[in-house]
Amino acid sequence: MNCTEFQEILPEVFEAGRTAEQAAHLKSCPRCSGLLADLDLIAREARQLQELAEPSPRVWNSIEIELRREGVIHELPGGPVVAPRARSWNLGAWLAPVAALVLVAFAIGVYQRGWLSPQSAPQLTATAPAQISNPQPAKNQPANQPANNEDQQLLAAVASRSPAMRAQYASNLQNVNAYIRDAEESAQADPNDEEAQQIVMDAYEQRAAVYEMALDRSLP
Amino acid sequence: MTDAKKLQGDKLSEADAIERAKQGDAEAFQLLYNLHKRRVYSLCLRMTANTAEAEDLTQEAFLQLFRKIATFRGESAFSTWLHRMAVNVVLMQLRKKSLPVVPLDETLESEEDAPKKELGAQDPVLAGSIDRLRLQRAVDALPPGYRRIFVLHDVEGYEHNEIAAMVGCSIGNSKSQLHKARMKLRESLKTSRAEKATKPW
Repeated sequence: MNCTEFQEILPEVFEAGRTAEQAAHLKSCPRCSGLLADLDLIAREARQLQELAEPSPRVWNSIEIELRREGVIHELPGGPVVAPRARSWNLGAWLAPVAALVLVAFAIGVYQRGWLSPQSAPQLTATAPAQISNPQPAKNQPANQPANNEDQQLLAAVASRSPAMRAQYASNLQNVNAYIRDAEESAQADPNDEEAQQIVMDAYEQRAAVYEMALDRSLP
Repeated sequence: MTDAKKLQGDKLSEADAIERAKQGDAEAFQLLYNLHKRRVYSLCLRMTANTAEAEDLTQEAFLQLFRKIATFRGESAFSTWLHRMAVNVVLMQLRKKSLPVVPLDETLESEEDAPKKELGAQDPVLAGSIDRLRLQRAVDALPPGYRRIFVLHDVEGYEHNEIAAMVGCSIGNSKSQLHKARMKLRESLKTSRAEKATKPW
């Protein structure tokens, strides 16, 4: 057997083992034995790639939100919630900011009417001034400022019911606010960029989802 | 500490988590996700060589799993069920991307893609060691057809008959593609090793 013949049947050598003739060729041919050793090494090392990478946290966040929307999940854990994947430009996307505003207004109303133990809120906001009260410098600060106040009130409401969840939601809101700022900056840089506009809508939709989850946890 | 570790610390087994997930328990879903996310994501990443696509596919695979979890009866291992579902999601996506569908048996890699013959002067071998990151990059750089078979067989451990059924090709074609993929990887790894050796730092 020569090298050409051996290499033609090499795939079968891996699968079915080698015959005496093939073994004899390998013993006498360092090139073919080196090739076989390399291919075997590659096959063995490939298993190490099985769990090499980890998805970003937003994958679970998106799964959780989707399962909740579908009613598969009945109760939410306190996992972080950040930006979702881009969605198609549809009516739902337009409704999202409206839903966000309604939820924000509802949250404020709930809080101001004292349904959520407001006495705990001043203490929480004073002892842990939320990171989101001082978000990263934003060009559109006036637009963000009211939202931050709303965030503070929402966090106070969350803290009054589930103190342990406050930090998680503060982080979630900080992330989503930063996402909104980035998205708005991109959209303002190119007002004709439909994708950028879509991302802005997605960002607000995400914010609405955070509020929805927070209220779901906070309401009695 | 992650929620999964907390739950594991509380002795919640995977079987318990599955039963709780069937009742819609959010923490159980998260535990199952945390237990399997690396394997599923790595599979998606290897198959697509694209992080954004891999995350989308990971999301889709878990969504499908969780929607159907009530139908899981335990005839096979949960991980087997999940990974098979993930593979199907990825393959479906790859088929959509490469429409119109052409049976794998009919696809031909270009001459440029095909691995070189090993006949002729003796060349250096890999000498019993492979840098894992280089291997990962080399796999990512494989032509999609080779990469698909290589990942399913050598990384995920599927047999050729299973791959043939999943991908829609003959067993012989699966073997042939795998061999070409390994040969191509060997070339890439040797090249990258040679490049490293010629660099002064």
